[in-house]
Amino acid sequence: MTTPILEIEDLSISFFTRAGEIPAVMDFSCTIMPGEAMGLVGESGCGKSTVALAVMRYLGGNGRITKGRIRFKGRDMAEMSPKELRRLRGADIAMIYQEPMASLNPAMTVGKQLMEVPMLHAGIGADAARQAARDIVAAVRLPDPERILRAYPHQLSGGQQQRIVIAMALMSKPSLLILDEPTTALDVTVEAGIVDLIKELGARYGTSILFISHNLGLVLETCDRICVMYSGEAVETGSVADVFSRMRHPYTQALFRSIPLPGADKNARPLIAIPGNFPLPHERPPGCNFGPRCNHFVAGRCDAQEIDMAAVPGDDRHASRCLRVAEIDWQAPPPRGAAAESVKVGAPVLRVDNLKKYYGVSGSILGPALARPVKANEAVSFEAREAEIVAIVGESGCGKSTLAKILIGLETATDGGARLKDQEIGRKPIQERDAKTVSSIQMIFQNPFDTLNPSVSVGGQILRALEIFGVGKSQAERQSRMLELLDLVRLPRAFAERMPRQLSGGQKQRVGIARAFAGTPQVVVADEPVSALDVSVQAAVTELLMDIQRKSRTTMLFISHDLSVVRYLSDRVIVMYLGHIVEQGRTEDIFSPPYHPYTEALLSAVPVADASVRKKRIVLEGDIPSPINPPSGCPFQTRCHRKRFVPGNLCETVVPPEVEFAEGHFIKCHLSRDQLAAVEPVFTRNTTPAA
Amino acid sequence: MGALEIAGRILLQFWPVWLGLAAIFALSFRFKTCLGLYGRLMDSGIGKVGLFIVLFWLLTAILADLVITISPLDQIAGMKNAAPGTVVPGVEGQYYLLGGDNLARDVFSRMVMGSRTVLAIAPAATLFAFMIAFTLGLPAGYFGGRFDTVLSFIANLVLAFPVILLFYLLVTPEIRASGIPVMAAAVLFLFPIIFAALLLWSRFKTQPAKLALYLAITLVLGVWAYSGLAFNADPLGVFSMDPNLLNIFVSVVFVNAPAVFRIIRGLTIDIRTRDYVAAAQTRGETPWYIMLWEILPNARGPLIVDFSLRIGYTTILLGTLGFFGLGVSPESPDWGMTINEGRKQLSIHPHPALPPALALMSLVLGLNLLADGLREQALKD
Repeated sequence: MTTPILEIEDLSISFFTRAGEIPAVMDFSCTIMPGEAMGLVGESGCGKSTVALAVMRYLGGNGRITKGRIRFKGRDMAEMSPKELRRLRGADIAMIYQEPMASLNPAMTVGKQLMEVPMLHAGIGADAARQAARDIVAAVRLPDPERILRAYPHQLSGGQQQRIVIAMALMSKPSLLILDEPTTALDVTVEAGIVDLIKELGARYGTSILFISHNLGLVLETCDRICVMYSGEAVETGSVADVFSRMRHPYTQALFRSIPLPGADKNARPLIAIPGNFPLPHERPPGCNFGPRCNHFVAGRCDAQEIDMAAVPGDDRHASRCLRVAEIDWQAPPPRGAAAESVKVGAPVLRVDNLKKYYGVSGSILGPALARPVKANEAVSFEAREAEIVAIVGESGCGKSTLAKILIGLETATDGGARLKDQEIGRKPIQERDAKTVSSIQMIFQNPFDTLNPSVSVGGQILRALEIFGVGKSQAERQSRMLELLDLVRLPRAFAERMPRQLSGGQKQRVGIARAFAGTPQVVVADEPVSALDVSVQAAVTELLMDIQRKSRTTMLFISHDLSVVRYLSDRVIVMYLGHIVEQGRTEDIFSPPYHPYTEALLSAVPVADASVRKKRIVLEGDIPSPINPPSGCPFQTRCHRKRFVPGNLCETVVPPEVEFAEGHFIKCHLSRDQLAAVEPVFTRNTTPAA
Repeated sequence: MGALEIAGRILLQFWPVWLGLAAIFALSFRFKTCLGLYGRLMDSGIGKVGLFIVLFWLLTAILADLVITISPLDQIAGMKNAAPGTVVPGVEGQYYLLGGDNLARDVFSRMVMGSRTVLAIAPAATLFAFMIAFTLGLPAGYFGGRFDTVLSFIANLVLAFPVILLFYLLVTPEIRASGIPVMAAAVLFLFPIIFAALLLWSRFKTQPAKLALYLAITLVLGVWAYSGLAFNADPLGVFSMDPNLLNIFVSVVFVNAPAVFRIIRGLTIDIRTRDYVAAAQTRGETPWYIMLWEILPNARGPLIVDFSLRIGYTTILLGTLGFFGLGVSPESPDWGMTINEGRKQLSIHPHPALPPALALMSLVLGLNLLADGLREQALKD
């Protein structure tokens, strides 16, 4: 039998602080065989990064391994001297972090940084090292390796930087590569390229991979085996196929039910949120950590003793930390929530007409302003009806945030306009709007940790919004309205006295929602309201938001890059690229052919956590062009995979017209109707239905 | 009298201060969980020491009348340059605990009384400097642009000017006669009123009744104090300031404000980009509300630290001023001035100069330790 690359046995890690010992990881075991890719999945705070750092023996001053063993190629790492460990790190084990810019030295050229690795670990000369660096840059599929080697990190885009970090990790041909959320900071289409690269390189060099992520879909695409962690413990481990189709732990099952998979429907099959909150390390319940949130919890058994991992019979190395594996009917359909009726949309509330936003690049004392402005929005037109959820989808730099800012009044349009009911708002900054207009178009922000003023109590912040919107005649009236709003977002009334730091991320986001709905708005702009939250909390907040929206018949503009959520909740979708709307239409039109080539690529780039869905793979070349210097003609022409089907140089010269395919379904592309209609769908279901 | 007995008697003489310290520390420990940052100071060794020293001098200044043995201005025959522990002739049980100075006054009592000058001016001047810096630094950071460029340039100009030279200029009789200090005071003292008014206006704009009441109270009190402090024209005579004191006060504020301005401007630029500021903007708040109620409270950590450090800095400045004879009044027991007087015969009689020097040093040390403790505890949350 071959020796495993990495063998972790009963590992326990604690952090020692002034408050005492905080156990971060308990009783964790896993084995990675040569060439195998292991996915480590869990929510933030579950200990997955701590495991990775323990493998590198890099736990900081107050972290200590209290129990267990880590063997690398059969050798116990605890017995290695610091010198041996140093040789191991970077040479045999390499690690890649989330933020590429933080891993690169901004003062050194990329070439120098890459050359350092073999010169240090293999002791080869500068010329050979340079040659090796050039080869590896070509291997991570970066164009023009010579130029890249001479560049400084800040001269590269985020995706290119991450490729360089991967190249650096691969320079010394490590036997184990640890990736800690390597694509979280990147856009979806760029992410797809990186994921492809990791898979291919893993296969080519035979490197074993430990892939840490919170995204189940990504793990499905990259890994052979998966280990699900919850609150410091591994709860289920097995091959990806087994765990995805025959999950045997209630947490894994709940996790899958709380993410929007293709087929979920906001009316007929709503998401099922996991009740309660993630336990803090010092507040873990006795027995099963997941017990208090579990549907299958049996008092007196699940909380009676510590629960060990037990093999699931019939599967290869599939184990679960659940006492009741044999008792639970895993095929049983989830308890149905009350299916809501679909909402009838009303008259148009918001009408955006030919809206343009150009930023003049301001000049400095040394030089005049550039003649060319940054075109953030280019002739954007759409309308949103009452009680409708319109999703705006696109990657960073596509102009979706600028559009939101104009609607809210933080920016004004350069040309064209936007009307709320019969009032012009596109050219009216917020200072010139009256309280009623301000309160009728409100915003929910992305980052829950930043959206509340840390110095003001929760109640105080909602009260202030009510005051400013002129709701209620007296302070007492507003006070009671504030408590009603807390009820509305399902927070206990006692939270009014709390300070934001005492709230979890999901709770903070609920306060943000309450604040946005304080003045009974007609339109709410939600800027990625759940993307910063943990998976199990996301579902609860999404459901809450939709529930309020449905009851109050508010129009919602849902800005997102997560197409799974968009497909689940929106009525209509607008796809933006470089300031242009490239496609818009009803959700079902967007998610089935004909597609705009960009929509097609975007759809195929989104990781889907469903083993039964087969996906067409389109990986776009290169990065999103800068809006300072947009390509001529069609904005997407530099990366388009279907450009070759368009005769002549039409794509480079002419901005394509909007063509209507179905009612309200517009595509901005030079391809003919038949060509677009002939494209096969991105998602197809496997013929063998999975559990 | 031996050195030990002198030390014992001095410690005994401070009894009201010890009593007060014991009470404050007992209460602080009892309620430390509900006192926020101050309560957490009780968990930091450095912070506790710093707080102890600062409170010691604060209580000494407040209770100076109970601590002194003899009036600091009394000159008693035969006590000129008397050694520490000398008995006052004719009075049983009355000592010059730390000896007498050149004019036969009690060094101990003068040192105790001297704490009053320092602790009256330094915190007040620092507070004024902060309010000026708030009123100018917040908009400079928040709006940026030309306003910021001009103000930052002026601030740099003041900071680049040698401080001592500036002081000499401001206190010379010619400049004083020209009325510049009074004019400067008239401008600088206006800022606290503006600051308070803006604070109330932005917060209670939506409740006109409350706003009118609070604004009226602030303006009446503010203008009253203003007339007294800046022009010495208080009709009731409650607020007044000695012209010497006014000079020093104005110069200290003038020197400190630009430094604080830069700190606040920097903090504002950082906090301006937060989502809660954007949330306030989308709510339609006025810029002043955002600056004063959204940004300022969240910049408090570094500002509290700087405040206590700056009081220490101002204390040294006041000492320096006194040392150069630019003190409050020639007779006053101001520490800096006492050190200067004692300096002349340091080689023969070191005892008149040392106590005020050690007092000054310990107070500044205490303030620095307190700032350290505050910073350490503020970072922990």
